[in-house]
Amino acid sequence: MTKTFAVTRRHVVAAAAALGLAAGTALPAAAQDPIKIGLIASLSGPSAKSGEAITRGILLAMDEINAEGGVLGRPLELVARDDENNPGKGITAARELINREGAVVIFGGLQTPVSLALVPYINQTKVPFMGPWAAGTPITKNGAAENYMFRVSAVDEMVDVALVERAATLHGATKPGLVLINNPWGESNEKGIMAALEAKGMENAGVETIEANDVDVVPQLTRLKDAGADALFLVANVGPSAQVMKSLERMGWDVPVVSHWGPAGGRFSELGGPRAKDVEMIQTFTFSGNDSPKAAATLEALKKKFPEIQSAADVTPAVGIANAYDAMHLTALAIENAGSTDGPAIRQGFYDIDSYEGLIKTYETPFTPEDQDALGPEDYVFTRFIDGEIIPID
Amino acid sequence: MARTYALRAGLARVLHHPLTAPAAVILLTAATLWLAAGAGGYLVFILALAAINVIVGVGLNVLLGLSGQISFGHIGFYVIGAYAAGILMLAGLPYWGAFLAAGAIAAAVGGLLALPALRVSGPYLAMVTIAFAFIVEHGTIEWRDLTGGQNGLMGFPSPEAFGRMFFETEMALLATAIAGLSLLFYLRLRAGRWGLAMRAVSDSEVAARSIGLNPVAVKTAAFILSALLTGFAGALFTPLQGFISPSSFPFFQSILFLLAVVVGGTGTLFGPVVGVLVTVMLPEFLSSLAEYRLLFFGGLLLGVLLAAPRGVMGTLARLAATEDPTPARPSGRPLAEIIGGARATALEVTGLGIAFGGVQAAENVAFTAPPGKVTAIIGPNGAGKTTALNMIGGFYQPDAGSIRLGRELAGAPAHEVARAGIARTYQTTQLFDHLSVIDNVLIAMKKGRLGFLLGPRPGKADRQVAEDLLGVVGYRGPLAREARALPHVDRRLVEIARALATRPDVILLDEPAAGLSQADKESLAGLLTRLAEAGLVVILVEHDMDLVMGISDAVVVLDAGRPLMTGTPAEVQTSPAVRRAYLGEADFEGRPRPAPFERRREAVVATTRLSAGYGAAPVLEAVEVEVDPGEMVAVLGANGAGKSTMMRAVAGLHRPVEGTIVLADRDITALKAHAIAGAGLALVPEGRQVFPEMSVRDNILMGAYRRRDLKPGPEIDALLKRFPRLADRIDQRAGVLSGGEQQMLAVARGLIARPRILLLDEPSLGLAPAMVRELYDALADLRDEGVTILLVDQMATLALAIADRGYVLENGEVVTSGTTEALKGDPAIEAAYLGIAG
Amino acid sequence: MIVSTLITGLALGSMYGLLALGFHVTYAVSKTVNFSQGASMMVGAVLGYTFAVTFGWPTIPAIVAALLGCAALGLVVERVLVRPFASRGSDLWLMATIAGGLILENAVLFTFGKEPRSLPSPLASEAISVFGTGAYPLQLIIPVVGLLIAGLLALVQRRTKLGKAMLAAVQRPEAAELVGVDTRAMIAASYAISTVFAGVAGLLIAPLFNVSASMGTIFGIKAFATAIIGGISSAWGVMLAGLLYGCVEALTTAYLGSSYTQIVSFSMVILVLVWVPNGLFGRAEVKKV
Repeated sequence: MTKTFAVTRRHVVAAAAALGLAAGTALPAAAQDPIKIGLIASLSGPSAKSGEAITRGILLAMDEINAEGGVLGRPLELVARDDENNPGKGITAARELINREGAVVIFGGLQTPVSLALVPYINQTKVPFMGPWAAGTPITKNGAAENYMFRVSAVDEMVDVALVERAATLHGATKPGLVLINNPWGESNEKGIMAALEAKGMENAGVETIEANDVDVVPQLTRLKDAGADALFLVANVGPSAQVMKSLERMGWDVPVVSHWGPAGGRFSELGGPRAKDVEMIQTFTFSGNDSPKAAATLEALKKKFPEIQSAADVTPAVGIANAYDAMHLTALAIENAGSTDGPAIRQGFYDIDSYEGLIKTYETPFTPEDQDALGPEDYVFTRFIDGEIIPID
Repeated sequence: MARTYALRAGLARVLHHPLTAPAAVILLTAATLWLAAGAGGYLVFILALAAINVIVGVGLNVLLGLSGQISFGHIGFYVIGAYAAGILMLAGLPYWGAFLAAGAIAAAVGGLLALPALRVSGPYLAMVTIAFAFIVEHGTIEWRDLTGGQNGLMGFPSPEAFGRMFFETEMALLATAIAGLSLLFYLRLRAGRWGLAMRAVSDSEVAARSIGLNPVAVKTAAFILSALLTGFAGALFTPLQGFISPSSFPFFQSILFLLAVVVGGTGTLFGPVVGVLVTVMLPEFLSSLAEYRLLFFGGLLLGVLLAAPRGVMGTLARLAATEDPTPARPSGRPLAEIIGGARATALEVTGLGIAFGGVQAAENVAFTAPPGKVTAIIGPNGAGKTTALNMIGGFYQPDAGSIRLGRELAGAPAHEVARAGIARTYQTTQLFDHLSVIDNVLIAMKKGRLGFLLGPRPGKADRQVAEDLLGVVGYRGPLAREARALPHVDRRLVEIARALATRPDVILLDEPAAGLSQADKESLAGLLTRLAEAGLVVILVEHDMDLVMGISDAVVVLDAGRPLMTGTPAEVQTSPAVRRAYLGEADFEGRPRPAPFERRREAVVATTRLSAGYGAAPVLEAVEVEVDPGEMVAVLGANGAGKSTMMRAVAGLHRPVEGTIVLADRDITALKAHAIAGAGLALVPEGRQVFPEMSVRDNILMGAYRRRDLKPGPEIDALLKRFPRLADRIDQRAGVLSGGEQQMLAVARGLIARPRILLLDEPSLGLAPAMVRELYDALADLRDEGVTILLVDQMATLALAIADRGYVLENGEVVTSGTTEALKGDPAIEAAYLGIAG
Repeated sequence: MIVSTLITGLALGSMYGLLALGFHVTYAVSKTVNFSQGASMMVGAVLGYTFAVTFGWPTIPAIVAALLGCAALGLVVERVLVRPFASRGSDLWLMATIAGGLILENAVLFTFGKEPRSLPSPLASEAISVFGTGAYPLQLIIPVVGLLIAGLLALVQRRTKLGKAMLAAVQRPEAAELVGVDTRAMIAASYAISTVFAGVAGLLIAPLFNVSASMGTIFGIKAFATAIIGGISSAWGVMLAGLLYGCVEALTTAYLGSSYTQIVSFSMVILVLVWVPNGLFGRAEVKKV
């Protein structure tokens, strides 16, 4: 007397779903169900701090939005995934967030390749992507007819033009050298800087790469010095940038250093030694020397929400927090404009934003189908690290 | 109880049925395909990733599980496969062409990497593969024109077949199907000759060469196959992901590949599948932990490793392990018929010589060994006997001379010598420990000509030959037993059967009687005679003179690397020159005490109901032994009676034990060896065990490790006076000493500890008679000086001659004991053991 | 350029050498290694920072405390990650130590912090001039310390009772037990020493570099390369190989350019092993047939 069990695929898939693996079919959302925002970023490993900054910016904005009643009457919820800096993991996480968690917008990608890897999938599934960090040009300019990639961050090509411009006009450089971290970000800026140099008809003294764990970069710098470099472009994160400054100090080489925003991490003064203050770096935002009431209020809110933040110096990297904060608010507006969580509608919602008073600036029609970058060269400011604070300079 | 057994046996029959494994693979593949076809979205993507990882795992399993080589660098092959496929697809090649090319390119690189990889092993091999992975990684970063540099490649056209575009579901189906095929491939490979050869090489390269296998070819094949599968996996990754860049392939992934195999169970069919559940599925379950994912993953991983230290499947297989008890069923054909062929060639050796670092180990060795005869090579320790065998067998390249077996073989590599018809056995047996007895014999049969890669299992006819050979040598145990589980005698026999399986013209036997009992030696003598009768050239290196003189047709005597004489046993035995050089003077009887010994019953060491064993099988049962101050006690018994186990148990090397062991009124039953040594017991272990890389002086001083009151100068001088041979050698490395000298050194090392009792385990084993005499004189001196000694020795007459009392062990129990006078007269012992006297 | 390059190379190479000595010590005694030497190095630096900067202890007690912490870590690694496997004849200690490193790195990430920090040192604050090129005094001291430690280790191994007992334990473990050497304790001690060496490396490099959870990973791998090409069985060998490796890296960067550094140095590893399969200074383990 045995009873036959008809095991169907549905059973198995359901079992797998119960185990937390399968695609949960999106059930019609109840009114109070939160709207899920996905985040794919490096939350562990060497870039963890930047991942944390983005997370904090998003969470701060979400708190404000949810305190005002949420979006479409529903609260926002952040679902974060660690991509371990690996595009493969990023692709997997995007599928998981969209298919299983039902995320309606994906934030993320510290490293350009992770964001680039997501482009085909995002445009195919029509779930908008918002980049608060990775600056690779082709992320937003990807040539898709229906482009779902948006960004509130710097764009390497434009940053590179600004860096070259500053070195040439302010420092009178004619033959600058490039010091680049050996990762996708460094490589992408090599192209950008070379193009900008060429556009200005300038020479270069060579390209040297440094590894994230290089202790001593004197050999690389010596090559540039011997090649006659009269200024250095620096594209690297806090740690390696600090090693460059320490090596320059040892060599006693007094050369202007114009940098991408990498050193903005909070401990650069501590790590980079006496020369740290000489680095001129580009930023989209600083709390220090920023007299806008919005900046002050946001800093207060941050201190309240994250007790380990005690001063502006602890808000690091500030650009990550500011970009993510504004990006989250813009995304909320887009969803509100769309009136639903449907991807194409949200995309249209981004185009429909006409004005938003943000932390970085007041955005006027930040996104158009031709330009899905909310920030441009006019928003870049040059800064220096002085006694642990990032101070804007001329 | 009986029912459980029947269940287990039934289960085993099902598990071991030749169709079970393929059926399981096909079922699993079909189930996964069915699941993937309907899953969609995220699940199908994960399934595809898992399938790809299974393919890599199978590839690594070929390398690690079959050929025993580790690789931390498989990410390199994976990257090569992924980029080759990507680049070729972007160049306009259809996916299927790109896929095949990617595998081929990875395989070719695998073959190239094998060149350096085969020169090294262990951690050195690990490093070569790590370096390979990093070179590939930096290659993809720096070779920008081809690889797109750090920002990678994208925009691959979708694969197409049957008018259908391949998106993730199709890719998942494809990857699953290929994963299933790769499992079937592994199954077939493992069962066939190539798989056997890989496992054989992994167990013992030396022995593999002596049956004609070329380890370089076999290991290279493993590398190439492994790289091929990994390259295919990489080629599947590219269209699935649609984007590849150097950061898609972190070095950590390479560790995860390896981890999947070892966590699942190295060498098991489904190991990679289980492993992938841990390395691919587990992280997905943990994804909501976000930044804490890696932390928890590390913790869980450690948990799995600790819970299943042989890998999940390996541990399960052990639980379900049962052994097919079927023994060999020999057809009874005579040996000559089994190995076939007419043998009429003699082995001619002339002028053979070799030097190691300036020391002439052999010079001008010459003899002719005719077919159908037993030719023995004898000589004192260090005479160059094994060196001569190693030159003939191709393991050493002679500096001079000729070895002819029909054609010139001097200088040919070992596997070619084996193929030319010279087989051999080893002083310490070199079986393929992880192969079954029958596989040990089967793999030798083709002399390294392995044929088609996926060729069939050895067939019925081959098996019958193998069983016949096992019958001829007298192996009666199960055919399916793993060689490492064999007792010593059977190891010798199986090794001879394996040598015969190459159907040789010449068989070289290096001390085949070492460690055999008298009865076993007699049957060995019979076997060797039968080998000669079958027309083989039998060359025997042996210490046991009874055996040598009993069966040899000619005896070649070597001394200090040079031939001393060649003749019939009678001639050799009566030659005064040989006698002087080799046998010493008159037969040695051992020196008894000058005055009778008065026993004081206050035991230095006493055991009560001492029992010990390995696993379930008891080797010692309720043994009660006592040694009193100043007494010399001998423990006698046949091989396997438990003598050595008893010594190891008393010294603390064998734990745990039941019963009690008392050393000078202190219970040492639970103590470890080093603590027992500190309590005043010194064991001179079987096989000497001197510290080979330390000087003779340091070896002696190590013996005093636990002493605080050592006066090194005078105490060493006193020992050197006792063992004058060591004085000349005092600053040399102990490893270069001869066996006899090492034995003296081991005794000196024991004595300097000033122990309450000295235990000696088989001190005369493997020593030339002259050396035995010197040693036993020294032991008699120690006895006369009042040192308390417990002695185990193969040479029972010797032991009885110098000891005061004795115990006789049989099957782990004391069967009789008493004074040596009484024991010498005991006829039962005489029959069982003392027959070798003389 | 050559002087500054060699200073760079030697200081870096000493770091590799010190970590590699750690591989050597445990391998010599037990034929096992801690594959997370890089993480051990990081722990040394992190503990040093915690004691010296966070707690504000004076330098010497902070260093001693950090190294004691490393020794304790070494004992834990041996007990939890190595012994359970090695005692059963399994090679999985290899994977277990990697898992241990993963846990350690991530645990430090969430306790110590995600930002790199700087460990200040008077020896690395002002550059001095050496043969016309600038160098921190610490950079010159590091190779000296490295060679001193290697020399001390070789001396201990050859001259002291403890050192000889360690050699005995590796050559004939059973015979060593029989003369009273507690081989288990020897192995545990070797792990403590190994981790202390890594800790020393971490403390030495931190002022020149920074302190962060991931600072040791690449160092660990290169140090393993160093140990291998030096021939893991020789203390001097691994230290010299470390200096060699550091100099090859620095010279490649200086004269060929940084894009070749990793490819050249790892290719060198393979070529060296093809040429001398037991490493530059290693001796083949004699196998008798």
